[in-house]
Amino acid sequence: MARSTAAALRPSDKPARPAGARANPAADRSGLFDDRFLKTLEHLHLVSRKVFTGNLRAERRTRKVGSGIEFADHRTYARGDDFRYIDWNLYGRLDRLLLRLFEEEEDLYIYLLVDVSDSMAIGAPLPKLHYAMQLAAALSYVGLANLDRVAILPFADRLLGRLPPSRGKNRIFRVFEFLRTCAIGGQTELAECMKTFVTQNKRRGLAVVISDFYDPVGFEQGLNTLRYNKFEPFVLQVYDQREAEPKLHGDLALVDCETGDTREVTVSKSLLEAYQREHEKYCKELEAYCTRYAMPFFRTHTAIPFDQLVLKIFRSGGFLR
Amino acid sequence: MSFLGPIPLAVFAWVAGGATLLAIGAYIIKMRRRRFEVPFSRLWQRVLEQRDASALWKQLKRLLSLLLILFIIALMLFAALDPTLGAVDRQARSVILLFDASASMKAMDGSTLAKDPGDTSRLDAAKAAAKRLVDGMGGGDVAMVMKVDGQATPMSRFTGDGPMLDKIIDGLAASDTPADLPRALGAAADALRDRKNPLIVVISDGAFPEQQLGQIRWTPPPAPGSAAPPAPPPAPAASLATVDLSGIDVRYLPVGHRSDNVGIIAFNVRRYIANKAAYEVYIEVQNFGQEPAHRQLTLYNGETAVDVRRLDLAPGQRLHQIYAKLPASADDKLRAALRPVEGPGGSDPFALDDQAFALLPAKKKQKVLLVGAPNLFLEGALLVYENIDLLGRISPADYDARPAAAEGADVVIFDDYTPAVMPPPPASLLYFHPTGAASPIAVRGEVASPHITEIDEGHPVMRWVTLTDVFMDKTDAFAPDPRRGESTLAFSVRDSVIAAKRDGKRKILAVGFSLPAQGRDSATDLPMRVAFPMLLVNALDWFAGDQTDLLTTYATGSRERVPLDGVVGATEAEVKGPDARVTHTPVIDGLATFYASRVGYYDLQAKAPDGSVLARVELAANLASTEESDIAPSTKLTLGGPGGHPLAAPEAFAITHSQQLWLYLLLFAAGLILVEWITYHRRITV
Repeated sequence: MARSTAAALRPSDKPARPAGARANPAADRSGLFDDRFLKTLEHLHLVSRKVFTGNLRAERRTRKVGSGIEFADHRTYARGDDFRYIDWNLYGRLDRLLLRLFEEEEDLYIYLLVDVSDSMAIGAPLPKLHYAMQLAAALSYVGLANLDRVAILPFADRLLGRLPPSRGKNRIFRVFEFLRTCAIGGQTELAECMKTFVTQNKRRGLAVVISDFYDPVGFEQGLNTLRYNKFEPFVLQVYDQREAEPKLHGDLALVDCETGDTREVTVSKSLLEAYQREHEKYCKELEAYCTRYAMPFFRTHTAIPFDQLVLKIFRSGGFLR
Repeated sequence: MSFLGPIPLAVFAWVAGGATLLAIGAYIIKMRRRRFEVPFSRLWQRVLEQRDASALWKQLKRLLSLLLILFIIALMLFAALDPTLGAVDRQARSVILLFDASASMKAMDGSTLAKDPGDTSRLDAAKAAAKRLVDGMGGGDVAMVMKVDGQATPMSRFTGDGPMLDKIIDGLAASDTPADLPRALGAAADALRDRKNPLIVVISDGAFPEQQLGQIRWTPPPAPGSAAPPAPPPAPAASLATVDLSGIDVRYLPVGHRSDNVGIIAFNVRRYIANKAAYEVYIEVQNFGQEPAHRQLTLYNGETAVDVRRLDLAPGQRLHQIYAKLPASADDKLRAALRPVEGPGGSDPFALDDQAFALLPAKKKQKVLLVGAPNLFLEGALLVYENIDLLGRISPADYDARPAAAEGADVVIFDDYTPAVMPPPPASLLYFHPTGAASPIAVRGEVASPHITEIDEGHPVMRWVTLTDVFMDKTDAFAPDPRRGESTLAFSVRDSVIAAKRDGKRKILAVGFSLPAQGRDSATDLPMRVAFPMLLVNALDWFAGDQTDLLTTYATGSRERVPLDGVVGATEAEVKGPDARVTHTPVIDGLATFYASRVGYYDLQAKAPDGSVLARVELAANLASTEESDIAPSTKLTLGGPGGHPLAAPEAFAITHSQQLWLYLLLFAAGLILVEWITYHRRITV
């Protein structure tokens, strides 16, 4: 195997070990959020304001009917309703008491669910985990700067911590600190983690899932859990380019970095091509699933700078409306 | 198809079984693989599950790979058996490569090019041909290299090691002697005795005398596959020298192509008996070619050219040249040389016989003292011999009074007088009628009216001497003791009348009867005969070691016995050859065995245990062989003389390489290994 793929597909002379038992190459996160990163975030904030000029910020329409100013619907008057909201014009025309309903305006909750499992530690020169954290930090900054309430929840086989929702740009340093110090490692169990997430977070909001989605039991159940609990899933798939196109050759024992499962293969050109097709197919399946259920989906590899990806997200309008 | 490989079947079976098990085991054991971590093995699993649909084909490919390896192993093992196709169904042979290393093989016409550059000798061509034969040897064949010149010399043992045989062949050198083919074939037959498929390959120019070829009895063995003819009754050997090659396949490989040669075939020199200060030379030159030839013949005495003359020889002409009354010089070495001249027929490829060497017998003027009464017969006879210096005559009384009077004399003659005190060595002594206990050779008694019935004609003293009818009234009879170096030169029936003795460095001759003289009662007519001065001269020459019949020129390749003057007791002599190499030769009864392998001058020395030289003689050796000088190569060699069987052409010996399959099998196996390697690394067969 080419040395360039050493980080994406690490040679190992040791037998497979339980996940988390070994040193994680992505554990060192001290240099993730430096001044340069902060400047990039500021730039992103400015650009995002320019892109979305005219939109109301921090006053998000919700499906809740409440005390907003935007008319939403009518309903039949019921005893005890506030007389101030009776539409007297309609009463004059239709001779029926109908109550005017307004959309309630409230703070937006943005939940950044970051996959910190062992598979995310793979990638070169930048591990996927670092890329995902930088991405999460960038989205957090934009959200915080726009007075949204941003919470960060790293997960692997369970939720590995929680940065409580907060807003305001000045909170970004807490985000950085949290991302630097949060626990990482473990197998990916998306469904279980989402289940826990929806249980613990009653305030609905945008659930941005940043992951490689390499879950042995599949990604569908996890995303469905979000959907079914009225969250708005936003899917960001991160992968390393050399995962998609590995440069392997010869007789190998492939060890799953999370499960430790070993599979002996003799890698030939045709097998590599078949794997690349299979990887592409897996990604397409995820994309198709998200499209089918109207979940914004973005796929990126670690070679694309995260700020470009953020801009792409803004331009597409899926992240902020 | 036949198999020439030397591997026994049992060993082969073990090797084949082991190799097969090893190959199968290598396929069965699990390969140690490099480990790589991947983020999501489920994707690989999916791919491999799809591929497992073709698992049967995959297993089949693996099986095919195993079968291919087994096939390659089988091919290699098959090649190790050295299989051959076609008619080569022979068994391993025992081959003797008999190299003619005689003088004629030095002829520089070994090149096979159309325009012979003259830089390749026949021996070089023979070596090249022999190497081709060695290269053509099959598995199990063994060969021995044997050289034949004047002797037969095995140069190796039987071996199948081609490079070693090539090395031995490279080291062969021709000598200056004729070839002794019967001796070599006899040695080869002895070496091949009890060996299967014996074969002798004679690599030569075929320059062998008919007499030698006639000594060999040989019938061609039946061709392989043909019915063997009924065995002829064993014919009695024509002579003890007959060499029987029955049952041995003998082949002949000729080399050389030119026949033009002019050579010196005889070169002799002798001093005149009467005048040893002069000598005459005899040279015989022959043109062996088919065209007229021209040469310049130069005779050297030492480094001085004595005579130069041009020779024009017709084809086959033999020319005799005599150089008479040449004055002797201090240098006793003579050399004759043929020089090429410009123009056609002026040169030839064989240089060895273009020069010849000879030595003049040593010449010495001896001082002779006569002790006895006045004797005109004796003194008169001595006067006629100019190679002596007669010191005079003294009476026996004077000698008795002063024996030292004999000091300084080389020869003392005692006439009818036997002194009590002998002159000290190295003075030689001649006694006429010695008597009493002081006689140098014991006297056994007196014989009346004797008749000389037998003389030792081989002794130098008796050369050309006839004593058949010599009258004498009486004589003393000696009792010579061979252990003391005493021998009888003339017998009267069984009585020793004249006897000789070697006593260290000096010689003694004793004549049993008295010469006629005044006051003596003996009577003999010997002084009246020619034999008397001859006897005296011969005796004096013998004393001086100056034997006119002593041959100083010998032919190379012949074994001769050379008398070493005055040597008693020495068993070995030192021989220094023309190449300055020193060898040793045995000495028996004063005769040294001399064998010359190179032309030129030789120096024989017999030494005492203390290192002092007892005797020394210089000799010259020449090719002097018309058979060797006649370098015309013979394309056919017929053993057994006229009516014999010609040896098969060399093509019959050629072992066809194309019928041997091992090389092709190995190449095929190598090709399959390459295919297997490529398909494995391209992941086709895995």
